[in-house]
Amino acid sequence: METKYTEVYQNAPVASKEAECEKVSMLLDLVIDGEATSEDQQYFNHHIEDCVSCFESHQKQKLLKGLVCGHLKRVIVPESLAHLIKAKIQETL
Amino acid sequence: MSEQTGKQLSKEEKDARFEAELLPVLDPLYNFAYRLTLDEDDANDLVQETYLKAYRFFDYFEQGTNAKAWLFRILKNSFINEFRKKSKQPAKVDYSEVEGYYNSEDVEGESGVATTTDMRTESVQDLIGDEVASALNALPVDFRTVIILCDLEGFTYEEMAKILDIPIGTVRSRLHRARNSLKEKLEKYAKTMGYNS
Repeated sequence: METKYTEVYQNAPVASKEAECEKVSMLLDLVIDGEATSEDQQYFNHHIEDCVSCFESHQKQKLLKGLVCGHLKRVIVPESLAHLIKAKIQETL
Repeated sequence: MSEQTGKQLSKEEKDARFEAELLPVLDPLYNFAYRLTLDEDDANDLVQETYLKAYRFFDYFEQGTNAKAWLFRILKNSFINEFRKKSKQPAKVDYSEVEGYYNSEDVEGESGVATTTDMRTESVQDLIGDEVASALNALPVDFRTVIILCDLEGFTYEEMAKILDIPIGTVRSRLHRARNSLKEKLEKYAKTMGYNS
């Protein structure tokens, strides 16, 4: 009986840590995209203060989003296009 | 001063309102079209088609509501319903373009132009941009779409759900899978740039 208790006691923190990390990884995109509730955001922030691997995942995901919004070149709209659209619309009844 | 929609307006008034409300979206819309079709002419056609459709249905557009999301939705539907069938082939990446760029680097360096620190920084920015574009273009169009809508255009999940006609849960899972896919493609590159992965 005593051993059983010890086992449970030893396993419990590991299991809950895993569950916490899993929850945090589920929240990752929401947090990155500003879609998390403030409650989830707080939970997330609190967790990554102590968890190196989740902290790193967060950094990586931020970097990825930053690569797309900061480095993907925008194409330049052909000058004629706006005129063309206006002309077509004026013809349309 | 009728508060009623379109029907009461003269053609001139309607056109003026249409241009004022919807033409400011031209730039993001064209960029979206280009990222979907990966071809400037196709993007041009798709955007024109979108604006003509929007004009036909302009009476149903509520003034002051999200014009950008409305146009993106029309464009995405046009792309799926008609355009995709017409286009010659599924999107492919043209690596030769990128290769050409890399190879021409040295040649340009010898042309006698003083390479300032600024210019070098700029060309590094260009290289990263090209790499991201290649990786993104290599994704299936559904994945590419959610990444563009979210990361480039800053739409919320709710707006994306409306544009794409899918539940928010599907937006989330698709975005998640899309990012994993993009991450995989960029990982090798990230390592060369000194980011551990």
